[in-house]
Amino acid sequence: MIGFKRDSKKDEEDGGGNPFQNLEKTTVLQEARTFNETPVNPRKCTQILTKILYILNQGEILGTVEATDTFFAMTKLFQSHDVILRRMVYLGIKELAPIAKDLFIVTSSLTTDMTGRENLYRAAAIRALCSITDGNTLQQSIERYMKQAIVDRNAAVSSAALVSSLHMTRFAGEVVKRWVNEAQEAINTDSIMVQYHALGVLYHIRKTDRLAVTKLVAKLTKSTMKSPYALCMLIRITCRLIEEDDVGTNSKLFEFVQSCLRHKSEMVIYEAAHAIVNMKKTGARELAPAVSVLQLFCSSSKPTLRFAAVRTLNKVAMTHPAAVTACNLDLESLITDANRSVATLAITTLLKTGAESSVDRLMKQISSFVSEISDEFKIVVVKAIRALCLKFPRKHSVLMNFLSAMLRDEGGLEYKASIADTIITIIEENPEAKETGLAHLCEFIEDCEHTSLAVRILHLLGKEGPRTKQPSRYIRFIYNRVILENAPVRAAAVSALAQFGALCADLLPNVKVLLARCQMDTDDEVRDRATYYSVILNCNDAVLNNRFIVENTHLSLPTLEKSLHQYTMQPSETPFDARTVPVAAISPSEEARLAAAEEISTKPKTAIATMTREETYAEKLRNIPQLAALGSPFHSSPAVDLTESETEYLVKCVKHVYERHLVFQFICTNTLNDQLLENVHVHLDPLPEGFVVAANIPCQRLPYGEAQSCFTVLTFPDVLAISVGSFGAVMKFSTKDCDPATGLPDSDDSYDDEYMLEDLDVSVADQMQKVAKANFAASWDEAGDENELEDVFALTSMQTLDEAVKNIIQFLGMQPCERSDRVQEGKSSHTLLLSGVFRGNHDVLVRAKLALSEGVTMQLAVRCSDPEVSELVTNSVG
Amino acid sequence: MGLLTKLMAILGFNRREVNVLVVGLNNSGKSTLVNQLKPDEQRATEIVPTVGFNVEKFNNKNVGFTAFDMAGQGRYRELWEHHYKDCQGIIFVVDSSDGLRLVVARDELEALLDHQHIRSKRHLPILVFANKMDVRGALSAVQVSASLGLEKISNKPWHICASNAMTGEGLQEGIEWLTNQIRQSVMLEENS
Repeated sequence: MIGFKRDSKKDEEDGGGNPFQNLEKTTVLQEARTFNETPVNPRKCTQILTKILYILNQGEILGTVEATDTFFAMTKLFQSHDVILRRMVYLGIKELAPIAKDLFIVTSSLTTDMTGRENLYRAAAIRALCSITDGNTLQQSIERYMKQAIVDRNAAVSSAALVSSLHMTRFAGEVVKRWVNEAQEAINTDSIMVQYHALGVLYHIRKTDRLAVTKLVAKLTKSTMKSPYALCMLIRITCRLIEEDDVGTNSKLFEFVQSCLRHKSEMVIYEAAHAIVNMKKTGARELAPAVSVLQLFCSSSKPTLRFAAVRTLNKVAMTHPAAVTACNLDLESLITDANRSVATLAITTLLKTGAESSVDRLMKQISSFVSEISDEFKIVVVKAIRALCLKFPRKHSVLMNFLSAMLRDEGGLEYKASIADTIITIIEENPEAKETGLAHLCEFIEDCEHTSLAVRILHLLGKEGPRTKQPSRYIRFIYNRVILENAPVRAAAVSALAQFGALCADLLPNVKVLLARCQMDTDDEVRDRATYYSVILNCNDAVLNNRFIVENTHLSLPTLEKSLHQYTMQPSETPFDARTVPVAAISPSEEARLAAAEEISTKPKTAIATMTREETYAEKLRNIPQLAALGSPFHSSPAVDLTESETEYLVKCVKHVYERHLVFQFICTNTLNDQLLENVHVHLDPLPEGFVVAANIPCQRLPYGEAQSCFTVLTFPDVLAISVGSFGAVMKFSTKDCDPATGLPDSDDSYDDEYMLEDLDVSVADQMQKVAKANFAASWDEAGDENELEDVFALTSMQTLDEAVKNIIQFLGMQPCERSDRVQEGKSSHTLLLSGVFRGNHDVLVRAKLALSEGVTMQLAVRCSDPEVSELVTNSVG
Repeated sequence: MGLLTKLMAILGFNRREVNVLVVGLNNSGKSTLVNQLKPDEQRATEIVPTVGFNVEKFNNKNVGFTAFDMAGQGRYRELWEHHYKDCQGIIFVVDSSDGLRLVVARDELEALLDHQHIRSKRHLPILVFANKMDVRGALSAVQVSASLGLEKISNKPWHICASNAMTGEGLQEGIEWLTNQIRQSVMLEENS
């Protein structure tokens, strides 16, 4: 007896695990034969069904035959009236529905169950039935029953029918549409759940019909619905309507949403507040009640409500910071919330809305809990601080101290990088903060285990350090790196040292000594750089310094790689000419980064494409033999639409500029599915004077829906002054009628046709590549005033300096230097510095002095190695 | 067969559960017939064409019948065979007023008898209902039996009776025969 007890105890301990752990598919299916026994043993069969469901959910895959056999065995279980077993059978049918065949055999049995007296069966039977029907059987046999079920008095049945019909809209939308009246009736029931589901079905049926949705909403907003879920959904639908119709905030719809703010249920109140806050066109007046509701939620005892409220407020803070300031007190009390997510959101919201005076206090509070939160939240906080710095430049010292303290803490690369980013942004935006920021960064690299960050900071030191008041203090930090760090950091440090040598004459001897020491380094790259820089610095030539140390080369790296590869493949006597490689466009990533800095978001940044537009095009052009002969394109413009967006044929044009040639790439799309276009080409007429069509590469076949390209190659006129102009264009092709389904032509008959396109313009910007100059003044002096052209223009159409600057940059297609594209507020004059490379590798520098006086007056000075280019640039502006 | 057996029967001790399959062409009256066999309070008021099958239960002489009422439409007929394996009796319903399709019914019956699961069951009773006998111009049971070729079935017990499923006429006779046959065949099986 004692032994037995012990055994049973042991069993209990062992049996604590999963009883279905070691199931095998074949054994379970074998066991399913029990289903055929008469009379049915419900207990046993239920267990076997459970096993089958278990293995299916574990990812076991049944073959069609196996599944069908099991399914037919299961059908025998309909003879038992055991409730539990029957419900398991429904589940089994639903699970096997996608695999087994001939499922419809249980249709009648299920319809009997769903119309029967046993309420426990009905809802489940409806769900099972809908999972096995297809559009066909649906129509003939069960439609009537479904209609009845939707208006059934039993809430579970009605809900099951509604939800199932929602699922069925996927394959039998037309049939479900006929159940509108029943759904309409169901919406008037008392049951909370049914009302919600009925509204879902009704909206789904009508959502393609705007008028019907408007009517639905108008009707429902008048009647008061009991279900909070349905009301939430109605609010969402209403908001969509408001956004689509673009009605003002005075409309009935908006009034409804506002009235929901006074609802009993917290869910509805929140939904309404959330909706109002997220509407695009809400003003401060409409926002106020919503925000005050959220404010109430902030002090709620439920953490979910607090979280929801803070999260929404956080979003509002981006668009309407003023509205949120009212809640600042409540938010501040949330900083100490036990829930870290709520606290972090509260902090970031406060940082966005906070006044200048409260910054100090906030920073104190943040530092108290910053060590407790995870890296991701820390990044969020850092981003918020960055926004704050941009907003209150005067507070930089407090923030900078805080950031440097955070830098010293433990943290991952991403966290550290985001802090470094922030400091760098502050340095760039705020000249006052430069010195302290650089000092903090210097301190940071003293003990930085992330090579990539150290390299970045060293590069920044090289760029900014020489222009500070006391450049000498940075030398020590940089040279420490040379002594202590690994090879990539040493190499970066050497480059940074050279910058100091080139720009600060008094430090030059010291730098020379240091570089000479670096030539003893163990690493090749470091030695090479040191040798290179010391040779240049020893020449004592300012022009050389400027060109090879201060300015970076802007060759497009993928193209350079391709060209070098080609060069090594074909041995030739002539040395490789780097000038044949086009310069790289300034990638928009920098601007994107700055834009991202302004809005704080927890979303990850989208990956920046590694290839620029030019390089991807160049890759494609190289594959076309006729164009490969022209070399690499110098500049490719973005695609321009030559047709309206909803016409028979869509044509886009990309202009590729080569040194002496101009290639138009016409990307054509055929939107007619009953036509096959052949021999598509674009005829240019009229041509501006001097342009000659050199070649025409037609597109042989243009089937429906595909985008194909045809090309026209032109030679530029020899005289630069007439290299801009406007082209007329006509697309010519022969059409064949074809079968829309297969795309095969009906017959060989074809007829020629043509299609007018919009005119094409070639401007200066198309022939210009953006290049940044780090030291504009040096380059300006270097270019000399021999080829300078100067002129004064009155830009009467411009109202502000900002607008003028943007227009000039866009018109000339050049890169603004030294941040001169940003006009300081409240100033009446501004100097814009632009640089670029003109086709044929002519450096172009432009200095535009702008003054605001009833329109904008501009004094434009252009310097270029080629006088013709200067003339072209000046003329084109006028 | 003594007092004890009778007593057992009265007390319901040797109550049996059997599965019967109800097959036949569409519109021959299968569902109506099964409906008629059910107790009064469970009867459906309206009969619609069956899709797949229906399960119904009824009792006769202490035998609990579970009738699998199969759909008769052409495309569902091949599903019948899934139920052949474990049935103890077959009810084949013929519309005796539909002379034209008797050949089709005969084909289906032959295919059924030829199926491996049916052939192997030597004592499987087959009950044929010549339904709709009230319709004017309906064939008699003998005529139906002749046109179905029932006399050729030698290895299984079979029985034909004329019926009217709407009123229940003739059903009881057929079911009683079936009950007896099933009792016997089950007893034979138990003895062997």
